[in-house]
Amino acid sequence: MLCDDCKKHPATIFFKEVLPDRTVELHLCEQCAAKRGLISTKKMSPLEVMHKLLKEKDARDAEIICPVCYLSLAEFKRSGRFGCSHCINAFDPHIKELIKKIHHSDKHIGRKSASGRKRSIEIYWLRKELKKALEQEAYEEAARIRDRLKDYGVEDIG
Amino acid sequence: MALKILDNIRWLTPANKENQGEHPEIVVSSRIRLARNIDTIPFEMKMKNKDARHLLELTQSAIKQRLQGKFYEIKKLTPLEKESLLECHLISPGFIKKDSPTGVFINDKRNISVMINEEDHLRIQGLSGGLNLINLSEKVFDVEEVFGDELGYAFNENYGFLTSCPTNLGTGLRASVILHLPGLVFTNEVDKVLKGALQIGIAVRGIYGEGSEIKGSLFQISNQYTLGLKEEDLIEQIRKLIHMIIDIELKARDVILKKAHYEFEDKVFRSLGVLKSARIISSDEVLNLLSALRFGIGMGIIKDISLDLVNELLIVSRPANIQLYYGMVLEEHERDIRRAEYIRNRLNNPGAN
Repeated sequence: MLCDDCKKHPATIFFKEVLPDRTVELHLCEQCAAKRGLISTKKMSPLEVMHKLLKEKDARDAEIICPVCYLSLAEFKRSGRFGCSHCINAFDPHIKELIKKIHHSDKHIGRKSASGRKRSIEIYWLRKELKKALEQEAYEEAARIRDRLKDYGVEDIG
Repeated sequence: MALKILDNIRWLTPANKENQGEHPEIVVSSRIRLARNIDTIPFEMKMKNKDARHLLELTQSAIKQRLQGKFYEIKKLTPLEKESLLECHLISPGFIKKDSPTGVFINDKRNISVMINEEDHLRIQGLSGGLNLINLSEKVFDVEEVFGDELGYAFNENYGFLTSCPTNLGTGLRASVILHLPGLVFTNEVDKVLKGALQIGIAVRGIYGEGSEIKGSLFQISNQYTLGLKEEDLIEQIRKLIHMIIDIELKARDVILKKAHYEFEDKVFRSLGVLKSARIISSDEVLNLLSALRFGIGMGIIKDISLDLVNELLIVSRPANIQLYYGMVLEEHERDIRRAEYIRNRLNNPGAN
């Protein structure tokens, strides 16, 4: 069945109102029902809430800058994206409300991040050092780095 | 490097039935994804190509040490292979559009994929047929712990796991489930049910993500909020809602069969007839016919075709997959011919592969 108003979209919302002299029935699509004010427009998704709130700008936004990646609060408001793991601390007092309105909460109570051993990062830098030592023909240094890589269980040492 | 499609959908058509979730006749599939970023590397917004390459190297090193599976650099894949990974739900639509260095890890069992340099550094996701969220979350967290241990995540006591976009903060967890709801579509109750979901913070969209159309009575349902609830509570909330929807769907199906048994039986068998005989068929038509077939199997009208086969047809008949299946690039018209041929063969010899 098509919408009684626009006759284009399928009718998904049905209204029945019993008046003293007659009964009114309406078959409408969501848009037309919203136009008549019969339903509140769709509940906003977190992303829509965010984009709406990010439009609230302040003259000082350009001066609030993340000390690590140099993203400004103004840039954050334009893109809706953080630049690094430190931005949230740099912007915290200004975005607390935003986060609260997006999630209806401002406190994480879920799993925590185990403090990683970061072995892969360590191995990455050891490999770089090894390459450099070999280029400089510092073979004793290279042997030491190889031993450390072996301690990490790395087998294919170049 | 050839990507074997049938391998890539093993998560949906598992040889081992223990990996199958509940209610496969209504719940097509379940997915859990976690968004994670590495503490010491700039996020997407501020990431340079060299940072992206650095992260690819680091993740590959972590994978080599601790995980079993394959790593693919996305730019080394052909356009068809990329589309195919998308059609198999192993990567996201936004991911293939990126110009910066990106990669994907897919485990040996083909039920976990990790996108590297998506909107977040890591998007770790687990996939399964049927309703299987709890089991899946355990598998996903096992992989999540490996990367956390090897690389160190960006984490904050108040806001949890830090993500590129504030809408993913906290748990970074999105649980989504694809439901097949022909009963509710037919009885026109689907909007009412799904609007109720929206009110409690659960989103409904088409099966290929945000903005995609709803086709073949397939709906994707997922949590919207990621902060302020424990992971297991987020999952439980979705699980409860899904069980509620399953009950309503089953009731709607009963009503349909009581009211119009022959009409529905007729529709199911006509759909099967077309699938078994057509010579030219588009992927959208397949979606709708498979919807009727899935309904028929769920209601016990059709007994000699498995849901696994329906799932296989659903994904392999997508445009890129059908080309990879035949190992050649095909124009649309030719694709429709080959798709019809493939479906005929599979339905007329369901045992063969």
